[in-house]
This record gives sequence, C-alpha cells and structure tokens, in this order.
Amino acid sequence: MRPVPALEVRHLTFRYYENGKKNIVDDLSLTVEAGSTTVILGNSGCGKSTFASVCAGLYPENGGFLESGEIELFGKPLSSLGHRERSGYYALMFQNPDLQFCMNTLRKELIFCLENICTPPEDMEPQIERVASDLKVSDLLDRKFSTMSGGEKQKASLCCLIALGSRCIVLDEALANIDRESAYDILEMLKKYSAGGGTIIAIDHLPQLWKGLATRYILMGDGCRIIEDNIRPEEFDNYKELLRSEGVWGEYSGKAHTRDGETGFAISLKDFSVRKDPKDKMSEYLIKSSGVGFRKGRMTALLGKSGIGKTTTFLSILKQHPYEGKIEIDGRDLRAIKERELFKTVGIVFQNPADQFITQKVADEVMAGASKTLTEDEIEKYLADYGLIKKEKYSPYMLSQGQQRRLAVLSVLLGDQKILLLDEPTYGQDLSSTEAIMRQLEEKVDRDHFTVLFITHDRELAEKWADDIVRIEDGGFVS
Amino acid sequence: MSRIKVEKLNPSVKAITVLLAAILISFQYITVLNTAIFVMSLLVLLFFSNAKPKRFIAIFIPALIAAFGIFLLGLYYARGNTTVTESLGSLSTDPYAVRAAMMNNLSTALQLSTRLLAYAGLGIMFALTTDGEEFISSLVHQCGLSPKFAYGIIAAVNLMPKMLDELKTVKLAFKARGIKAGTLSPKVLFTMLVNSIRWSESLALAMESKGFTGDRNRTYYSVTKVRWYDIACSAVLLGGIVAGMILLR
Repeated sequence: MRPVPALEVRHLTFRYYENGKKNIVDDLSLTVEAGSTTVILGNSGCGKSTFASVCAGLYPENGGFLESGEIELFGKPLSSLGHRERSGYYALMFQNPDLQFCMNTLRKELIFCLENICTPPEDMEPQIERVASDLKVSDLLDRKFSTMSGGEKQKASLCCLIALGSRCIVLDEALANIDRESAYDILEMLKKYSAGGGTIIAIDHLPQLWKGLATRYILMGDGCRIIEDNIRPEEFDNYKELLRSEGVWGEYSGKAHTRDGETGFAISLKDFSVRKDPKDKMSEYLIKSSGVGFRKGRMTALLGKSGIGKTTTFLSILKQHPYEGKIEIDGRDLRAIKERELFKTVGIVFQNPADQFITQKVADEVMAGASKTLTEDEIEKYLADYGLIKKEKYSPYMLSQGQQRRLAVLSVLLGDQKILLLDEPTYGQDLSSTEAIMRQLEEKVDRDHFTVLFITHDRELAEKWADDIVRIEDGGFVS
Repeated sequence: MSRIKVEKLNPSVKAITVLLAAILISFQYITVLNTAIFVMSLLVLLFFSNAKPKRFIAIFIPALIAAFGIFLLGLYYARGNTTVTESLGSLSTDPYAVRAAMMNNLSTALQLSTRLLAYAGLGIMFALTTDGEEFISSLVHQCGLSPKFAYGIIAAVNLMPKMLDELKTVKLAFKARGIKAGTLSPKVLFTMLVNSIRWSESLALAMESKGFTGDRNRTYYSVTKVRWYDIACSAVLLGGIVAGMILLR
C-alpha cells in the first residue's frame, strides 16, 4: 500500500475574482510525500504563495474564487477539516515577521496557540517549556516582540507552529527578510523537526540555503504551472541553467566591475555613535565611535546582522535619528544643512515601498518623482524598462510587491538627488527583478555619477555590484 | 506583604462598579460627597494599588486645572450676586450643562468643580489599576464577549507600536520626496489606511493558520473569576455613595 501523502492537490484552479481572466493557480496537480522536505522555486508573483494559502484553506475563505480542484491533507479532504484540525496537519509561516503574532510575547502567543487547539490548561506550561528548550529559544519566551529582530521573530513563529504539533510546516518565503545567521538557526530547528518525522514545504528564492535539508525541488512558472516536478538534490547542478534562464535563481550574470580612479567621499561619518532608542539617552549604543566614508560616484553595500544599526545609520544621515560625532555630506557638516536642502541632495527608498507612494496612479508616481516634466512617451518608456508596461493607469497599491519596489526605485532615480540610500532594494525579488533593479542603479552611477549606498543581506549581490563593501560588526564599521 | 490591591479585583466588576458610581454621582450635587469620592480615589491609588504616584499625579493635573477653571468661572459670576438659588437643591436631575449655565455663586461653583474631580478620580483609578488583556479576558468570561472580538482587539492593540513606527516612516518618505505632510494629511492617512487593511488581513491569516476559529470552544490558560471581595468592594463603594446621598442631603 502506498503511504498517505502529506499533501495531495488535484487540478487546482484558483483566481482572485470569479470573472477575472487570470488564474493565479492554473490546473495544478501535485503530491508531497509525508516526511519529505520540498522546496518550491518560482518567479516573484507566479502564484506560489497563493497556492500555499489555498492549501491551508485560507483562500477562498478570505477572498478569491476556487474554480476547481481537490486538496487532501494526510489523506483527509481539506473541506472536511475545521481550522483547529487543519492547524494540526498544515501550518503556514509567513514572510513578514511583524504580522504573525496576536499577543505581545512568545509565551502568551504560545498559550494562545495551545488554547486554540484546546490543550488542557495544566499541560500548557510544561509543553511551552519543553518546546522552547528543545528549540533553544527559552530566552525569547518573555521578551516583547517589539524588541526582537526579524530573525528572532521568525524563530518565535516557527516555535509556535511546532508547539501546535503541525505535521506539515509551510514556509512562505519566511527566510527572505532575515539575516543569514538567523536563517541558519531556523534551518537547524527545521532539521530537528524533520528528523522527528515532520514534513516541510518551503517556498523560497534561495535554493542554496536548503542544501542538506531539501529532498526535492519543484520549479514553477506563471500560474503555478509546473516546469520541473522532481529535481533531486544530487542532480540540482544539472538544472542551474534552467533556473537561470527562467530568471528564478542563479549567479548574477556578468563580471563584477569596480570603477577606477580617485574620488572623494560623498558621505563621511567621523567618530560616529548612535543609540538604539532615539528618545532614550541612556539606551545602549548600536554603533560607538566609529568612522567610515562612502565614496562619491560609487556603489557601496552595507552589510550586517538585522538590528545591528544599518537602517539607523541611514536615519541618522537623513537627520531623523540623533547621533554623536560628525556626519559630512559632500564635505559639509550635516548639522549645518537644513532638512529641506538635505532632501534635495539625498534620496531614499524604504524597505516597504508601499510607504512612499504619493499619488494614486503609476504614471503620476513617476511624474512626481521626476525632476523635469516628462512626456507620456517618456513615461511609457521608463515603465517598460522597469517591467511595468501597461501599468500606468493602475494604482501603485495594486501592483505586486516586486513591481512596487521597482516603481519606488524608478521614481527616486528620476529625481535630482545625487546620493541615493536604498534599504534592501532587492529583498524578496527573484533573479531577474534583482538584476533589473541593480542594473538601473549601476547605469545611474556610471552615467550620471550618482552615489549609491544600499543595505542588503545578500553577500553575492554585494560582491557583484558594489565597489565597496562596509560591514557593521560589534558596534563599528568594517570596510 | 499581602495587602489588598485594586489590581486584584475582577476588571468587569470594577468597570461596572465605576460606571454605576458615575451614574449615581450624576444625580447629586453634594460637595462633601464629591470631595470624599475624589479623596478616596487618591487614597486607594496611593495605598492599595501598584500605580506609580508620579503617573497618576501627572494625569490628575489636567483634571485639577479643569476643575479649578470651573471654580473660577463660578466665582466670577458670583461676584455681586450672593443669593443662593433655593430651587437648585443638592439632589436633582438637572443636567450639568444647565447647572453650569445657571451657575451664579460660590457653592454651585464648588459643587460643579468637585463633581468633575470625582469623575476624574474614579476614571483614573480604573484606568491605572486595570490590565488591558485581563480586562478583555474578563469580558469574555464574565460578560460573554466573543473570543473573535476579544483576540481581534488584543491583536490590534499589540499592533499599535508598529503602526506608530509606520506613521513615522510614511511621514519621512513624504518629506524626503519634498512633500509636506502632517500626521492628519489625507495622503498620509490614505497610505496608513492601505497598510492597515493589508496588515489586518495578514494577521488574520496568520491567526487562522494557528488554529484560531473565533468560537467559544477553546480552552483557557487562566480564567478570571468573580470572588466575594469583588462584590464586597463594589457594595461598599456604591453603598457608601447612596448613603452619602441620603445622609448629606
């Protein structure tokens, strides 16, 4: 007799609107064996996240239209299971670590989870202690989530799913937004879970992270069309070409090139110190008495663990976070520069691009960013370059996350600011979008001598595109 | 030291008691009784609660200023008119506003300003000695609030710090693009609205994925109970006010 699979999907077709033309998931059939670790690869926006949520029954219950298809979890039809039972079979971990918790500490969140599955109250305390010590997260139990880094929050989140006793855990790009060290810790936790018989399905852009754990890779195209169903880890190398040509994953194309010649500093920090909490003058130092210079007309990558002070450094450069020491922009003391004047020199793209749209239409958004008036043709051309073709009448909020990011970069690039700060410009992007964004930046640097400073967790990206790499370690800058 | 603390009282009983007390107060204008309630609130906060004096004094200051303002107003109009209006007894159902408008002497001024203090005392006593999560949990257990609402409220409250951070980022993003934007500018609010909707959706999906159904069929780690001393405290306070209303009339 064939063992019961963890997940069996037959002819699944799902779209957001009943009368919509585009199927997000288009006639997908898939089987995932119990106890296996499956990694699903695919372009940003190909529908794989939606597919994961449909399998959890979150859609169409919370929106969308399921045209056809059957889903079985461990041999039981999804429709026959209530939420409570489902969570015992299939639990999802999401990309954004900030939006996964109902309570404010891990202990309370674990209690919330155990209450959901009707655990007797007297069993809760021992269960929580056991899970936390098994996963080595006991020190997180009573800390407020608001004080945790993204990586710590994701650890806490995984801890909840394991405490729920889910037989299959699905990670929806859960490692995309956290530093590598935390990602490896989470993979260790997952190894333990897998050794205990747990099934793992991971949706990810970084297949190399899963080496040693993955038992199978699946490559999906648009509409969750399966391109390769069963890539075994030992033959993964044979598929590198395919992944590359699908724009999903691969080494960045072209050679790393660094720009020659001497140049001054666009931004220099001297004897720079910054504290964690802008309001609390006694809070601990993130960076203490350290100096660094970011060269003019060059690309510099800023690396370091999450929560170590990268974004805070950006905020200090923008006069939004108090600092000690000196910051110079083009040789001028930042304290002598007025905010309005500063924003004419320095532009910024934030982590969440949806924070910075100022209009309700993509074309207007481009126009608002531009330093001079653009004709319709010019706008169209820019949008085409950025893969936003035929989107000019859309609201920026209707775009996919990858498209939003490209739009945010585009509208800042068209402005007057010669110094650009970008906070993780490529996070959550597949290979082709990443390259598109980085190429645009590179062109601006080469042609218009922009100075670009970007934060990233992707070392390869930094090595490929940056002239200089600066790391923040132990409260100081290391070049 | 195991002294009785107001924090230990059942939050629902406390809320209902304070509410009833406030309604009772609104039927009387007895300066002594109002002052007594205010002083009692202060004493309770000082000796029978964990509230930090610094905090409640900081909150009392605006209430004191408001009360003093009303008092001065009364004094101002009382000048040259010292006759007591007999028709306005100490127990009456005349609305506060009517009284305030007709305020024409020192004693009315005192009545109105001390009443304001009594309200403030009760309110602050409740607010500073009640834990939000415990209050909501008690609403579930004692007042039949659905867990769906209860956890929805808790999740929203816990999201507040992130919302404030987000607001800061949005304002900065607008500034960086050369657009003036205050907290209440429509553009900022629109962005926040879009974000909030998206967040609440994500959060709801995450909660559901963790087995949350919103129905009452779940276990509870801790159940808030109504004990004899909850009822006793409530009875003492309400009884005291009623007695005061009758005896001090």
